[in-house]
Amino acid sequence: MINGTGITKTFRQRGGVLGAREVPALRGVDFAVPKGGAVSFIGESGCGKTTLGRIVAGLETCDSGEIVIDDVAMSSLSHRRRQPYFRRVQLIHQDPYSALNPTRTIHQALAAPLALRARQTGRPRSWADGRARELLGLVGLDPGYVLPRYPHQLSGGMRQRVVIARALTVDPEVLVADEAVSMIDVSLRLGILALLKDLRERLGVSVLFITHDVATARYIGTDGELYVIYRGQVVERGPVETVISAPVHPYTQALLSAIPVLHGLESPGDQRVVPVEASVGASGEYSDGCLFAPRCPFRTERCERERPALSRNGDMPQEHACFHPERRSVVAVPVSRR
Amino acid sequence: MAPEQGPPGVRIRGLTVVYRTAAGELPAVSGVDLDLAPGTITGVVGESGSGKSTLALSLLNAVQPPGRIAAGSVEIDGLGDVVALGGEGLRRARGRHVGYVFQAAQNSLNPLKTVGKQVLDLGRSHGVENPRGLLADARDLLGRMGLDGARVLDSYQHELSGGMRQRVGIMLALVLNARLVVLDEPTTALDMITQATILRIVREVHAERGLTTLVITHDLGVVAEVADRLAVMYGGRVAEQGPTREVLAGPRHPYTRGLLGAVPRLVGDIGEAHALPGRPPTLADIPADGCVFRGRCPLRMDVCETGRPPVVVSGSRSAACHALRDDDGHDDGDGPVVAAATGEEQA
Amino acid sequence: MSSTIVPEAEAGGAAAVRRNFWRGVWRVMRRKPSRMAGAVILAVFAFMGIFGLMLYPDPLPRDTSALYASPSLRHPFGTDFEGTDVLALVVTGSRYVLLTAVVTAVITVVVGAGVGLFAGFRRGRWDTVLMRFTDMKLTIPGLPLLLVLSTVWKFTGAVEMGLVLGLLGWGGIARAVRSQTLSLRERGFIEAARGLGLSTTHIVGRELLPGMAPYIAMNALIAVTGAVYAQVGLFFLGVLPFESNNWGVMLNFAVFGGGALTTTAALPYLLAPLLAILLLTLGIVLVVDAMDEIFNPRLREE
Repeated sequence: MINGTGITKTFRQRGGVLGAREVPALRGVDFAVPKGGAVSFIGESGCGKTTLGRIVAGLETCDSGEIVIDDVAMSSLSHRRRQPYFRRVQLIHQDPYSALNPTRTIHQALAAPLALRARQTGRPRSWADGRARELLGLVGLDPGYVLPRYPHQLSGGMRQRVVIARALTVDPEVLVADEAVSMIDVSLRLGILALLKDLRERLGVSVLFITHDVATARYIGTDGELYVIYRGQVVERGPVETVISAPVHPYTQALLSAIPVLHGLESPGDQRVVPVEASVGASGEYSDGCLFAPRCPFRTERCERERPALSRNGDMPQEHACFHPERRSVVAVPVSRR
Repeated sequence: MAPEQGPPGVRIRGLTVVYRTAAGELPAVSGVDLDLAPGTITGVVGESGSGKSTLALSLLNAVQPPGRIAAGSVEIDGLGDVVALGGEGLRRARGRHVGYVFQAAQNSLNPLKTVGKQVLDLGRSHGVENPRGLLADARDLLGRMGLDGARVLDSYQHELSGGMRQRVGIMLALVLNARLVVLDEPTTALDMITQATILRIVREVHAERGLTTLVITHDLGVVAEVADRLAVMYGGRVAEQGPTREVLAGPRHPYTRGLLGAVPRLVGDIGEAHALPGRPPTLADIPADGCVFRGRCPLRMDVCETGRPPVVVSGSRSAACHALRDDDGHDDGDGPVVAAATGEEQA
Repeated sequence: MSSTIVPEAEAGGAAAVRRNFWRGVWRVMRRKPSRMAGAVILAVFAFMGIFGLMLYPDPLPRDTSALYASPSLRHPFGTDFEGTDVLALVVTGSRYVLLTAVVTAVITVVVGAGVGLFAGFRRGRWDTVLMRFTDMKLTIPGLPLLLVLSTVWKFTGAVEMGLVLGLLGWGGIARAVRSQTLSLRERGFIEAARGLGLSTTHIVGRELLPGMAPYIAMNALIAVTGAVYAQVGLFFLGVLPFESNNWGVMLNFAVFGGGALTTTAALPYLLAPLLAILLLTLGIVLVVDAMDEIFNPRLREE
């Protein structure tokens, strides 16, 4: 449905008097979001996952590489002609507090895009009101309660549902959810995740889930695919459950090891990986070597000289960018209940 | 201060903090009893509106208007009842006795001053006589947390990463040798790996300096990693407390159970996990009578509408729930003890 | 999920929203007595400006037996050099002053907000050009320019006067609105609107503008005071020829004709227009205080 090949993006950071510094955000990322599928980008802040999501949603352009939506290459189209394609990709913001205009009621927030949609599809304007109610119902809200309210009168969880409903007004095929639950109360997170999963199943919408919390990625769908991104490069890619239970890249392993263990319920994995503190140069990386090498406890001399590319290694179901891939059990194991 | 002294203990009794709103004074914290045993790490977990941050501020008697401490006491060893303290005594106690790492400490540094300058400012406002010594202490502390102390002291906020700022926040809380430390959401907005590092540092520094630590967080995982004891707050009250492992292994209060069941996990059947119905109460809609959790509770009974749930104590654990009165005591040998309701609780 | 939700009356359309808005405005105004006082003052001035001329015969009657009369029941603020009632002069003179002020405010806001929104939303080249121009305009000192302008162009009517003052005064708002726009456009809801494919007109008019409304309304009210000071000042200095009576002219006559600064006879004649200006400013200041709450739904509804 949506494919990306060789996406690169470099940000120019103003570095005071000494002029601009170039910060590579994405270094040639390939990805594919199948129809109705679930794809998750995992990584730390600054790894480029958010930028990638914004490029997919058409809110930013890439320096090089190609985004293909429904077999149409976006680079072949003018800015204006791209619009209808990117409409099919809607971004769900991380912050449900800033994603809704505080001066407009939920009714107003939904009415504008619905009116636009009615015009595009040749429906009567009256269709919009009914549709707004239908969509709110779909995301688990009571239209009668929500419609006349302002965003500040709703809880964070309700707001995020409204944001999802608003994204659905234009009949998207892909929802890009960027840290969509990180600002939601813990007891309500699962509800939002379940909603996204439900939308996948009921409407056939693909979900591109961007998060630093690997555990939440499972709840969008265990049939999904996980991309682990480090410093703008995909370092491991494979089926969700495989990458979680048998990760092979040391960075993935470090990331999974860092997830808190619910002592009492779980016991920590016996091969947890703790990254070393980086101490290479100012930028903290080898110019030609593996990006993770400075922090990698398993680095060899080769890692400092050569950068591994994402590739498949014989029997492993996942792709990885590591010269020394090895399965390690790092994830906490549930203690058997009495 | 006097290092030969042991870490201080804290006893919070019947603490009620109200906020003045258009609808009258509403309790953000209501009749909370909580002990911080000397030398332990206590974790307070709660969602938004649970009153956990207000509770943390009460420890310093630092609740800002329109809020005020309406009832109760906070006894800190070597300091007395903080609620009765005021003015200069209170100011000196903050920093000296009680170190506070603010929520979003990543952004609480002065952007116009180097870290070292802020350490000196802190020393001056507390009448430290040896500023050189103070800077040396700060450098050592930062070094202990895996940073290049001298360089960090010379840096401005924008030159430090989120994890580094958090460590600077911890250093500032400890540099005056406070033995009681409050960390409010110490790892929010940090990445997983940085979070793990910070939590490890919190644990190590706690042990090395002989502290009593209170960690306030919304994340059960954070408490599970660092805390010896755990208190779960909901709607301004303590729902359940006890040794962390025991509570996690066998939660008694339906809210604790629900919360644990709502945390996405890496392994296990995802079908088992469920979000809690409803939403956490805000200050405006916390029920005045009865159980604050009843609206979302699967065990709801008629009595939950009216009676404030009794605190059922068994061993080192306690939980406040009507449903526990009948069926508690099955997992432990010792029978349930129903604590006598205090005056605040009946009010 | 949201099972605890209480169903409520059916959502209304735009009309209901508007009705709620005015109910909210009323609530905000009632919160502080000072706001109501301000609103009442402004209402009185508006009434004066609109109907003032109808209250008195034209030309105003002169009581030649009482020149520079002291305040009395008949003449609450005394009379002027011709024996005309000062209160009548203040009331009838208000139209010119207020009309100028309103025209100035409208032009300041429309041009200022327009330029600011456009520059802030478009960014890039448009922004640079417009802001250079605004800066240039801001560096031109207003009063001297007016003095120069008045030698070549006789501002015959209140509207022309307002036009000139307005065109001189939009720079500040433009800069402020631009910086607000720059920060607002990074907000999630603006990005979402673009992602949904909503038109630029919608985004600027419906999404951006309401957020800036308190700001703009405040600036509009402050522009009114500025315009009153500016024109009264010009007339007081006697720079502008005048055809109709207004407050500035009164001040001019009181000081330069009646010697109000040296003798007490013309003092009421001087103080009456000053008091009017003071009251008007006070009214505006008191009302400006409510703007933030009026245009912020959160503060309005609470």
